[in-house]
Amino acid sequence: MVMGKLQGAPGDDLAPGAMKSMGAGEGGGGADTNSRHVAERISLLVDSELDVEHFEAVCICLRDASSMTTWVSYHMIGDALRGSAAIVPGFARRFADRLAAEPTVLSPPRRRPAPAAVAWAAAATVAAISVVGWVAMTTLPAGDGSMSAAIATAKLASTVRAADTRPAVDNEYLLVHQEYSPTTAIQGARPYLRSVAATDPDARP
Amino acid sequence: MPTASRRRSGGLSVLSGFVRVGCRAGLVAVSLVAVPAAFGQDAAAWLQRAANAAHGLNYVGTIVYEHGGRVETSHLVHLLDAGGEFEKLTNLDGPAREVIRNNDLVRCYYPDAKIIRIEPRSFRNAFPSLLPQQLNALAAHYFFRKGELARIAGLDTQAFIFEPKDGLRYGHKFWADVATGLLLKARLLNENNESIEQFLFTDIQIGIKIDRELVKAPFAGTPADWQVRESPPGEVKPEETGWLVKDLPAGFSKIVEGFRTLRGKSAPVAHLVFSDGLVAISVFVEAAPTTPQPVGLSHQGGINVYSRQLDDYLVTVLGEAPGATVRQIAYSVAHR
Repeated sequence: MVMGKLQGAPGDDLAPGAMKSMGAGEGGGGADTNSRHVAERISLLVDSELDVEHFEAVCICLRDASSMTTWVSYHMIGDALRGSAAIVPGFARRFADRLAAEPTVLSPPRRRPAPAAVAWAAAATVAAISVVGWVAMTTLPAGDGSMSAAIATAKLASTVRAADTRPAVDNEYLLVHQEYSPTTAIQGARPYLRSVAATDPDARP
Repeated sequence: MPTASRRRSGGLSVLSGFVRVGCRAGLVAVSLVAVPAAFGQDAAAWLQRAANAAHGLNYVGTIVYEHGGRVETSHLVHLLDAGGEFEKLTNLDGPAREVIRNNDLVRCYYPDAKIIRIEPRSFRNAFPSLLPQQLNALAAHYFFRKGELARIAGLDTQAFIFEPKDGLRYGHKFWADVATGLLLKARLLNENNESIEQFLFTDIQIGIKIDRELVKAPFAGTPADWQVRESPPGEVKPEETGWLVKDLPAGFSKIVEGFRTLRGKSAPVAHLVFSDGLVAISVFVEAAPTTPQPVGLSHQGGINVYSRQLDDYLVTVLGEAPGATVRQIAYSVAHR
């Protein structure tokens, strides 16, 4: 019910999460879409960027265990990336283990939404960091949205100061784009460095 | 040895002042064609010199890339000889990465992952072919002026500034080696005149003899335990994609449109590129993947990226422009 309310704000195209065209009407993905909406709103809340009008609805959502997991995970990733002291050694591992021990949370009937959202967040942070973080990423299993992978990523990336939970930059797009950028031409291949250095060789098969 | 034709910069400020007045007075569209042409050509000539230097000179140095509070240091070797253009970029921080370019072929080496990525890339598209409307766009949307003289990496440089006239684009400041025109420092500035990202040489030798050895791959061939990942050829065949941008920010015009095959994408992706003469903004449209895709704004260094779902498609817009600009374009992509 609450989720329905969240979803019913399709005109809000300012929120990165607003994706009218992916509404519940399409392909029967209603539950996924709802959860995704919630996850995106939670992400905004964690970033202190949530519109006031959505505040209460999201807070009500947090009564739900999977939403709470998403909220905790976003905070944890943010903390790790900010190098905050809140992360103590082994915390991520214990957290992941505890999550793994709670099948109702980690493996809901439709298990995609929250873990996938967390994986995006983790991927985004790693994308925003370049060489160091990518190396961390290369040691991880392919991103299938597994919660423990996301947590491990956050932990490994904790040396990097970035708290961006925005979408990952598509490196393939970045590379292709730079062929046409006049600034690439006047600077030689230097701007190319930012895409190549950040390209994760294991990102795709 | 590379005594590039030295531009007399004395006339620049006069010109830009003239253009400034011309543009203010020139609310009449006609002046966009007539008056600023001199400005545009002047700015373009300067950009041309920097591009020629970047591609035509031999140089080796240490380059520092700063963005978002992070600093990365790399070693760069650039060589032009009978075999064409060679470039080797090695990062000096963290695990080793090497990027080796010979003309349009780029190889990236990831020793820790034992992976070689081969990227066929075309660098001929961006420059020096500034179209007339791009020259006009430069004049109409940026104040171009000479900045201070500064010493960078032991060399005398002249700063040049492209200051945006609106909030749709970033500011650019370049420091060019006085003797050769090669950019020794480049900075992208936001509306508060704060640096978003910056490249600079901390040491450099220009016009020296460079041995091919210095731009060689770490090894010949591929060791047995390394993987090779090759991307499809990079060229776009110009054609209509069925997509357009209805509300294009002022000063941007389309420079290419077509489909391209990309690694990791099952179907060809529509790619449209728009430029205001100084930066480019790319629009990519692909069939929406079945897995949920991230949407909204993100960035990498000075490049902002905005993704959104449009019907059954995923639209991604990126370029060296403020988030609001790429977002505006993302929201005005429509079926033709």
